[in-house]
Amino acid sequence: MKRLWALAINTFREAVRDRVLYSILFFAVGVLALSLAIDDITIGDQAKVVRSVAQGSVDVFGSIIAMFLGVSVIHKELERKTVYTVLSRPLPRWIFVLGKYAGLMLTVLVEVTVLVVVYSGFMLIRGDPPDLTLFVSMLMLVVELALLTAWATLFSAYSAPTTAAAFTLAVFVIGHLADDIWLYGKQADAESVRSVARALYWGLPNFEVFSIREAAVHKDAVPWDRIGPGILYGFGYTVAVLGGAMAIFQRKDVK
Amino acid sequence: MAADAPAIVATSLRKVYRSGFWMRPYVGLDSLDLRVERGEIFGFIGPNGAGKTTTIKILMGLHRATSGEAALFGSDHRDPASRAAVGFLPERPYFYQHLTARELLRFYGQLMELPDGLLKQRSEALLERVDLVRFADVPLRSYSKGMLQRVGLCQTLLHAPDLIVLDEPMSGLDPLGRALVRDLILEERARGCTVFFSSHILHDVETLSDRVALLVGGRQRGIGTLDELLGGRVRHVEVRVSHVPEAFAQRWDVALAHEEAVIHVAPDQLSDVLGHAHALEVQVSSVHPVRQTLEALLLDEVDRARPVDRKQMGVLA
Repeated sequence: MKRLWALAINTFREAVRDRVLYSILFFAVGVLALSLAIDDITIGDQAKVVRSVAQGSVDVFGSIIAMFLGVSVIHKELERKTVYTVLSRPLPRWIFVLGKYAGLMLTVLVEVTVLVVVYSGFMLIRGDPPDLTLFVSMLMLVVELALLTAWATLFSAYSAPTTAAAFTLAVFVIGHLADDIWLYGKQADAESVRSVARALYWGLPNFEVFSIREAAVHKDAVPWDRIGPGILYGFGYTVAVLGGAMAIFQRKDVK
Repeated sequence: MAADAPAIVATSLRKVYRSGFWMRPYVGLDSLDLRVERGEIFGFIGPNGAGKTTTIKILMGLHRATSGEAALFGSDHRDPASRAAVGFLPERPYFYQHLTARELLRFYGQLMELPDGLLKQRSEALLERVDLVRFADVPLRSYSKGMLQRVGLCQTLLHAPDLIVLDEPMSGLDPLGRALVRDLILEERARGCTVFFSSHILHDVETLSDRVALLVGGRQRGIGTLDELLGGRVRHVEVRVSHVPEAFAQRWDVALAHEEAVIHVAPDQLSDVLGHAHALEVQVSSVHPVRQTLEALLLDEVDRARPVDRKQMGVLA
């Protein structure tokens, strides 16, 4: 446990000392602030539009930071050869992968917390205080980011950051379009298209499982019937993907 | 860890790499047999690409051997626990640039699960020993190569290991840095630690090592004490002669410009030279056998291995 914590804290420390992370975070805060300005140029239910844009910003920037950190997490260690003096210790490789992942998730958690605090602050200033649904939707966002980060870690275990970023982005996009892909596959005439749609749907995650964004934007009650299964799905899938990353890294020669 | 097992044992260790689009196989290490006893300083020499770093990476769990066995203190090297009493310094010091020396040592100490008090005490003592206390809170990104190597030595020795493995520890260091590494190696041996190190600087290997293994083209070409490797081997014999007649000069390629000349002859030619000198009444003032040096031995072995290298180290047909 001490070793896992040491790896996680070191990864977290490395991330928070990276100026690029701050640039993304400041940009995210800027976009959140701009969402307030939308108030003046929006017709209709202004509060909903503002909440929608702000919540979307948190989702998008949370995902960008998770991908940005995840796609290089293992490769950077290999490229900079810092891994030599870590793996040469009595440390099973799976602990190394888990420690790096835990450090990333700590960073993502802190970053989402910052964005949620800023978001909530803005909403309070607007006289539209955040409700429970918002916080539960942010919890589900963290579950989604945990899975996305696990995929990025998996790709980082065997490919360069550019390739890993392309793969992770593909998983992210397909994962958010999973329900549409399923419907499209069902309606397609060609068997080949149906097969590809089925393979994508069952082979890759469905990130919409985690989304209760609509309820949060409309300030509806928390759809509790979706929360438990969503968390279980995310946890199980994350464990499986991380297991894959560990299996790949276990056999890798450190060049 | 077996109580009386050797520090390192490798048996028929082999590593085949695959590279390029067609994944063509290359033999990086071929049938290495090695035994390093506890408490000795063992030098590992060979030209670039000989397989030294490959061997070290396999022992340190960074590479997987294609075949063969290796053990550290009697434990299978594939088991991470076998490295509990091992300290490793890689060829170039690669450390987390965002950390300071103190933070880095704390990180490595936590990976070794050292108690906090002991970790702090060992860190400070080592930073003091390598004269880095003044810079201990400066991020490593601003360190020179020599300073990084000193931090590297600290992390190697942090947990007071029973075996230290150093890959080219003197490479690129100034004389002071090399002296520090030499002193630390000798101090560690005096503590009872086994030292296994590779080096291109053969003088250091000759000065420090109890035993040496010579690796060329992925194959071991010699192993033993310096006396065993060099003692019985005379590279050539210097014969100092004077009053040389033309017949002698022509046969043994002696320049007649000077009254006295030195002939370099192979050991097996010595009796012919002396016999011929005696017959022609040439004065022989001295006969001096020139012993093999480690460098000469290395060069000889590289020359000898070349035809084999092309088959063994090249693409396997």
